Amino acid sequence: MQENYLAKWLNGDLTEAELLEFKNSDAYVSYKRIADATDGLKGTEFDDSRAYQALKNRRELQDRKVVTLHPFRKFFRVAAAAAVLIMGSYLYLSLSDQTISTSYAESKEITLPDLSVVVLNADSEISYSERKWDNHRKVDLEGEAFFKVAKGERFTVATDAGQIVVLGTQFNVEKRKRFFEVTCFEGRVSVSFNNKETQLSAGSSFTAIDGEIVEAAAPGTSVPSWMNDESSFKSVPLKYVLDEFERQHDIAVQTQNIDLKQLFTGTFSNTDPDVALKSISVPSQIKFKFEGDKVLFYGENTP
Amino acid sequence: MTSLKSKDTGNVCDEQVFGTLFKANSKMIFNYIYYKFGNEEKAYDAVQEAFLKLWENCAKVPPEKAKSFVYTVANNLYLNVIKAEKVRLKYADKSLKTTHEDPEFLMEESEFKEKLDNALNALPENQRITFLLHRVDGKKYAEIAELEGVSVKAIEKRMHLALKSLRDKIEGI
Repeated sequence: MQENYLAKWLNGDLTEAELLEFKNSDAYVSYKRIADATDGLKGTEFDDSRAYQALKNRRELQDRKVVTLHPFRKFFRVAAAAAVLIMGSYLYLSLSDQTISTSYAESKEITLPDLSVVVLNADSEISYSERKWDNHRKVDLEGEAFFKVAKGERFTVATDAGQIVVLGTQFNVEKRKRFFEVTCFEGRVSVSFNNKETQLSAGSSFTAIDGEIVEAAAPGTSVPSWMNDESSFKSVPLKYVLDEFERQHDIAVQTQNIDLKQLFTGTFSNTDPDVALKSISVPSQIKFKFEGDKVLFYGENTP
Repeated sequence: MTSLKSKDTGNVCDEQVFGTLFKANSKMIFNYIYYKFGNEEKAYDAVQEAFLKLWENCAKVPPEKAKSFVYTVANNLYLNVIKAEKVRLKYADKSLKTTHEDPEFLMEESEFKEKLDNALNALPENQRITFLLHRVDGKKYAEIAELEGVSVKAIEKRMHLALKSLRDKIEGI
């Protein structure tokens, strides 16, 4: 009889002669009985649709767990996808540094390699090196951006006016011409300006206008106002307010016979230019009129 | 097999593909682990763990690799578990094929069943898995060989030895 004949027999692989020989052996009856008793023996019950339901529940639970840890997961994904697209095209152009910029009346969300998020306000630009990112979290900024920094090693935002160093927090940086402002929304931020370091705690701001440090009021919000489609100012020279209007609405601004140094406190809409114009002109006691696609602000006494 | 292949094409992250894979493989994994340890709870958990892992890695595992992936996960899950408990397989009592109502026969029959169960539980793990996959689930030797990652011949050897030792145990040799 061939090797492993019992296995062959169970599988119906024995030759006729072998089968006959096996059937005549003493052991056949008991083997046959075992085979019969185990043939079509039912396994224990397994309800696969119930098991699948249970699995789905666990999957969901797991997903929800992740969501509670990262409430911005979905948002990250979209932001990451957008960023990948943008970065991809930039990578094609320059292999070294990633540069992302916005034009007038535009804002963008960028996810950095460590999942830190940068939201760029209008007419702003950031650049960083993806290659060196792992041991060098540094972003160059021109314009205004809100940073939500993932915990980790020091994270630096470098501007022409000064540097901001943090470990993991949320803050806003605005550097426009001679206007430099850093607002801390969470954690602690260290600002170095003219070789002088200032520590900011949550809810406080650092402002420098024309190279002079100015006392600034706390923002009292959890994100910068521009992220809610508004631009807010507290005692800011009118010049910078009008610049911001220009950036947000992509409408060129001209002025005539008005004091650009007068301080403006207030808020204007980033979505509705008509409302914004009124919000600026009424408290400043100036007038405005459209001239083609430009807007002219002029003093009360000007004809 | 060809029909299964065509159904498997696509992405494992796709709910439908994933569901099909679950339907096609979950019961076998359940049985496999059940035959191994004789513990329903472990078998049930193994199915859950294996497919959760598959879901987590759905982007990385192509559909044709999914089957071996879930088997490997299920198998590795209890790699480090010390087998403290005795194997206690239970089988849903199959309806009696015979119409004998002779009480002496019935008595003898149930006695035989008990002996068979004990003999099965006493088999070495790999022989029991092979034997039951073939007898209960009607798996082909080639399929079991693929699952276990051994040759068909090795599976035949296990089958042969399993049947032999079952008889020895039952007959009290």
